[in-house]
Amino acid sequence: MRIVVGIKWVPNTQAVRFDPKTGTLIREGVPSVVNPHDLPAVELALQLRDRYGGEVIAITMAPPSAMKGLEHVLGMGIDRAVLITDRAFAGADTLATSYVLAEGIKKIEKDIGKVDLAVFGQETIDSSTAHIGAQVASWLDWPYIYYVHKAELAREGVLLVERRLEDRVEWYEIELPGVISVAMKALKPRPVSLIRKIRVKQENPVIVWTNKELGLDTRCIGLKGSPTIVSKVTFTPEVPRKKVVYKPRDGLDAAVWLLEQLAKDEKAGKVIERAVRGEF
Amino acid sequence: MAGKVDCEKLCPLWPCEDPSEFKGVWVVAEADENGIHEASLQMLTPARKIAEKLGSDVTGVLVGYNVKQYADEMIKYGADRVIVVDDPAFEMYAPDVYGDAVVQLAKKYKPEVILVAATMRGREMAPYIANTLRTGITADCTDFDVDEKTKDVLLIRPPFGAIMLAYIKTPLRRPQIGTARPNVFPLPPRDDSRTGEIVEEKVEPRKPRVRLVKRQIIPRSEVPIEKAEVIVSGGKGVGGPEGFKLLEELAKLLGGVVAGSRKAVDAGWIPHEKQVGQTGKSVKPILYIAVGISGAAQHMFGVREAGVVAAINIDPEAPIFKQADYGVVADYREVIPAMIELLKKAREKGSLEEVLAATKQT
Repeated sequence: MRIVVGIKWVPNTQAVRFDPKTGTLIREGVPSVVNPHDLPAVELALQLRDRYGGEVIAITMAPPSAMKGLEHVLGMGIDRAVLITDRAFAGADTLATSYVLAEGIKKIEKDIGKVDLAVFGQETIDSSTAHIGAQVASWLDWPYIYYVHKAELAREGVLLVERRLEDRVEWYEIELPGVISVAMKALKPRPVSLIRKIRVKQENPVIVWTNKELGLDTRCIGLKGSPTIVSKVTFTPEVPRKKVVYKPRDGLDAAVWLLEQLAKDEKAGKVIERAVRGEF
Repeated sequence: MAGKVDCEKLCPLWPCEDPSEFKGVWVVAEADENGIHEASLQMLTPARKIAEKLGSDVTGVLVGYNVKQYADEMIKYGADRVIVVDDPAFEMYAPDVYGDAVVQLAKKYKPEVILVAATMRGREMAPYIANTLRTGITADCTDFDVDEKTKDVLLIRPPFGAIMLAYIKTPLRRPQIGTARPNVFPLPPRDDSRTGEIVEEKVEPRKPRVRLVKRQIIPRSEVPIEKAEVIVSGGKGVGGPEGFKLLEELAKLLGGVVAGSRKAVDAGWIPHEKQVGQTGKSVKPILYIAVGISGAAQHMFGVREAGVVAAINIDPEAPIFKQADYGVVADYREVIPAMIELLKKAREKGSLEEVLAATKQT
């Protein structure tokens, strides 16, 4: 099997701060990581390769600094990687991003060989749209399915996946080539092997493509290829709350005060009354 | 040119269409054997708001098998009309097969806006619909508005951790597509006297390449957090899984359930399906008791629709106190056992008032 797995190099959102004056993100000094939700996708792709043979190719559309992220997944055991990087791709929304990724997969098919499966993480920690898997499937006209926890070949050219929704587990067969997106935390990613990482640096299995290689119409990529635009950014308005704060003498005092407030409250009062009656 | 759109400048892979030819607000609904998903009915709330601002109307769209019976439900909750595709070919859900049916309908009717509830299926299907129509999509919106001048819909979402709101426009393409998580919008009032047209449509179902072979419903022993009326929720300050047992006891006495913040889930104290917040679920209990939760914007995003928020936190500087109705600065290990004790006594006596008065005197 030849499997392509999508990776995003994202700023670690927990370290991102906002400039309240300009309303923009302060990204300077913020360390980037491979999107944590992509790692179960990498793991699943590696498990399929380990079981059925073939190769796994990581793909990303990003600035050159994403090379570090590719080195990380190469250290996990990915066979080679494609970095698609060009200023012309900057400012892309999910439609324009998925277009470039789909064209990248097509070029892998042309230059390297037929791709059986494209695997993505469920969503990213920086924008959490969960769009890319479905959009790449739409561009390629491949079938797709989300929230995958397990996958195996049912027979030649057909993958059997187990996926979980809110209230059910479902098993789907998906014809290959196809796209799957792997549920958050579905699999524990294997650690990065230092030896592999060193070898990777020597062998340099990263292919870099700019738009010179891809040759895409500039009206379809980056900002111009994005139907959505951000027209403004503001602070989230506060939800109005009473904000009564009490500093109690002890735990019992706190409990009495809180229950008293809740019992008096127009909305919460009903809940407390019901609890006292023991009627649910 | 197509209206205000200069076709020469547009990506040639996109259809060049005049945005002013698109009319109406759609809600693409999800239905199963239990009827229409409540989250889909909730989407009628923003749909009505947008339709009013655009001087337009609201159409429900229902694709499936044996779903026609539910169409009227959408009218009662605020749709003016429902387009139904009821066909055995749609007995089995596959995201591209269902998505393609909506794409065909959208090409025929040209709606200006399509809203989809961001249930797990909705999040799976909506980006396929948008991409196949070569238009934009905005995920997890928390509000919608209309630009007075251009009449573009503003799809408002919190990027990057819920502190900021981005106003997103789709100026050159239609339909404008957005999703919103369940419980971000309230259910519109049901009006049994409402009537509307039900339009039965046929589409050419695309050949399924994804097939359901088996399914298993996960039995629920308790109310899911998104349906609970009382939630006792724990964060990092709870300190460990033992603390959650205490929360559980209080929740039971109040007829509620336990939930947690992302930190509690990451620590493994509580499963992911009970996570409240931007990367978890939005909830709408009457009472939300936050225990040892600092009150990060990402978490508070999930309790926007909560009736009353109470907070117990040992840190007087915790931001939660500025976002709660009632806050006590104390160690939950002392407060919650006392609350449990008082509630138990109150239940015995049949009056909380008496128990609280007696306790205060001692």
